[in-house]
Amino acid sequence: MKRHMMPEIKEGGVNVTPLIDVVMCLIIFFMLVAKIGISSGIDDKIDAPTTYLGKSAIDLGNSLALNLYGKPGTDEPQILVDLKGERQKELRLQENKGGKLVHPLQEVLRDMKKERGEKFNVIINAEKGMHYAQIQLVLQECASAGVTNLNFVTKQQKVQVQG
Amino acid sequence: MKFKGAKAIHYDSGPNMTPLVDIVMVILIFLMLTGSFGASAHFLQSSMPITASGKGQIDPKNIPKVPDPQLEIFVSSLSDDTFRARIGSGEYFTDADKLADALTLKRKQHEATGSSAEKMQIKICPRLLTRYNHVILVYQAAMKAEWPKIGFQAARD
Repeated sequence: MKRHMMPEIKEGGVNVTPLIDVVMCLIIFFMLVAKIGISSGIDDKIDAPTTYLGKSAIDLGNSLALNLYGKPGTDEPQILVDLKGERQKELRLQENKGGKLVHPLQEVLRDMKKERGEKFNVIINAEKGMHYAQIQLVLQECASAGVTNLNFVTKQQKVQVQG
Repeated sequence: MKFKGAKAIHYDSGPNMTPLVDIVMVILIFLMLTGSFGASAHFLQSSMPITASGKGQIDPKNIPKVPDPQLEIFVSSLSDDTFRARIGSGEYFTDADKLADALTLKRKQHEATGSSAEKMQIKICPRLLTRYNHVILVYQAAMKAEWPKIGFQAARD
């Protein structure tokens, strides 16, 4: 009787198992750490002040970023926000609506505060050269809407260690 | 002559991993390119609202019977890069680190009287034309001095 032998097994080429292990670990790492499609609403083009103190992480899920731009000839800054899927929507401090004076920014802040509770915070992202006259108008609107948690966006200054 | 090569069939062990490696590499490169890592932004946090007057926007139910004492820091910009700050009616500072040191000394003096730093409210009082950059530097100095309650005063000039 003819005996059937098992064919001799030969490995073809390079063993890719360790490569796949490493790559899978990297993918899981990037999937957990990377923030894909998440926008904090902060405009990186704004030249914010530089500080060495501050926090890198805040609760972005409960925050609204106000990007402030100086407008020449007026104290009222241009305020752009990412609101309900609408990117960089302009919110005025006050405007005339059908003969009635309304406060769009304050109304938005009040609604969000009511919706999200005490955790709601506002991120202020302003040009470092802006005058306080412009900033204080926004701070006043925040205070009027009952928002007490404010975060000022700054650029992190690298502290040089001597020696 | 006996040809052995034709019969010695080559068997790979296990499934073909090449398409898997291709896809996994594409996913990896995609994640590396599209993901944003770390925090690009940096934040100075404040829990004190701006105050137009002494008590500001404090909830009427939580107004303390004796209002917190206030330490005012007046800030004005001298140029784009330089500012001048004064603590109460004291001396002037043009350097943020020296201002922080003076504020630290004030806190220690305050605590030496047996009072808590929590009971003192630091009020930054910029002028209308004070640059935001300088307001933030003074705010940072107050934070560095470990004053827990730092707020802003509306400018009237």
